[in-house]
Amino acid sequence: MNKNRELFGLLLIILSTVAVLAALGMVFLYAPRETTMGDVQRIFYFHVASAWVGFFAFFVTFLSGIGYLARAERRWDILALSSVEVGLAFITMTVITGSLWARPVWGTYWTWEPRLTISAVQLLIYVAYGMLRSALENPEKKARLSAVYGIVAFVTVPLSWFAIRWWRTIHPDILTGGGGMAFTPRMGYTLLVSLAAFTLLYVTILRQRIRLERSADALARLRAHLETNYIGGSHV
Amino acid sequence: MSNLVYLLAAYAVFWALTFVLVVSIWARQRRLERELASLAALLEESRK
Amino acid sequence: MRFIRTVWAIVVKDVAAEFHTREMISAMLVFSVLALLIFSFALDLRGAVAQAAAPGVLWATVAFAGTLGLSRSLTREQQTGCIDGLLLAPVDRSAIFLGKALGNLAFMAVVEVVLLPLFSALFDVPLLRPGVLLVTALGTVGYAAVGTLLATIAVNTRAREVMLPILLLPLAIPSLIAAVQATGGLVEGGTLAEVGGWIRLLVVYDLVIVAVSVLTFGYLVEE
Repeated sequence: MNKNRELFGLLLIILSTVAVLAALGMVFLYAPRETTMGDVQRIFYFHVASAWVGFFAFFVTFLSGIGYLARAERRWDILALSSVEVGLAFITMTVITGSLWARPVWGTYWTWEPRLTISAVQLLIYVAYGMLRSALENPEKKARLSAVYGIVAFVTVPLSWFAIRWWRTIHPDILTGGGGMAFTPRMGYTLLVSLAAFTLLYVTILRQRIRLERSADALARLRAHLETNYIGGSHV
Repeated sequence: MSNLVYLLAAYAVFWALTFVLVVSIWARQRRLERELASLAALLEESRK
Repeated sequence: MRFIRTVWAIVVKDVAAEFHTREMISAMLVFSVLALLIFSFALDLRGAVAQAAAPGVLWATVAFAGTLGLSRSLTREQQTGCIDGLLLAPVDRSAIFLGKALGNLAFMAVVEVVLLPLFSALFDVPLLRPGVLLVTALGTVGYAAVGTLLATIAVNTRAREVMLPILLLPLAIPSLIAAVQATGGLVEGGTLAEVGGWIRLLVVYDLVIVAVSVLTFGYLVEE
């Protein structure tokens, strides 16, 4: 059973590496040079792909929260915290790459463009989730309370998205006039491959993080066992 | 074109963050496995 | 029927307890006025700039004063051990949540009753119209509901009150944006229909938040 899992894990690592390299190849060699922005536009593919993972990872945390409240099993909590850690890295990527794209295109490092703004909001929610977990000691309470926060936080994200979108429609930035992109089919394929690659990457890293947490649990159990049965070196 | 700096920087950020995440998990895993091994050895010792 | 009686009993208890000392409400009020002052100085709010900024400053003030009241009311709850007593009784957990949320809503409403006329006068904006009052009510309901849920979470943490704004503010964003935009639209002479989209968003937000809170509150207080 373990052998199969190891094999699957190795397969995933290889697959995601290949996918990411393929996506990179497409981004730089296959996708056309955008007419208005030039080569800088190529940031778009990995920026959107990481935004997707950032959102999806939090969706997974939302589902695991429900799972934990329903079943109270540690594996749901492990999934929740693992997805948050991986998702946090990707949403950070989204915000930074978005900012790096904004600078040459719009002349400023930050713009309240809907996707960038909602990514920043998600980043803050991720951080709040992490801080909440750190501020709780009891493992059962930690799991339960963060499950509830994950659920209620996630449901506000679509609502925030709409609010921010409408807000920007009514008050468009005079600066962001040059934000249009001439989208071609080749760009579409490149984007799809990037999305697939990032999803694979997310799943691969997520599995490793889950494995890490399970090992930590095993260590804690072993420690507890040693402490209760072998205090001071002699069998109690 | 100076704009390519931003393109490069963005992809560098992708690689850097992915690298940091993966290496961090890997390093923690190594440390845990070492501790698990030593504790398991301790358990063996105490059993004798 | 017993459900409603339980909810009402909790609201009455909280309001009566606060009415004795009035320390929380006065703190919220004084804080709001101070916040108003700070905003006015920091943003140099005069004339047309003040009018444009009024909805935003109002809601920022309400949000911050709200976090004060929310943490205070729940901390007090924990200190007196009231919630443990409530939990021993065979009451529906959602009744406890609704009672506490309505109580917090009442406290925020009292503060707003003072703030709205004050803002109207200071910023020269017509805030005391039915449209604006509706928006204020909708915004406060959502904020009080999600705030009560999150305060219940925050009170369990090592950081206590400090945790609440961090948890609450990102989640209040849809409601805050909608409330500010709707208020701004109405104040500039728009009709209720023109800001209908924002009002619908507020209603959806309130419904979703109350539903999720009612469903999950029980899990927060179980032992």
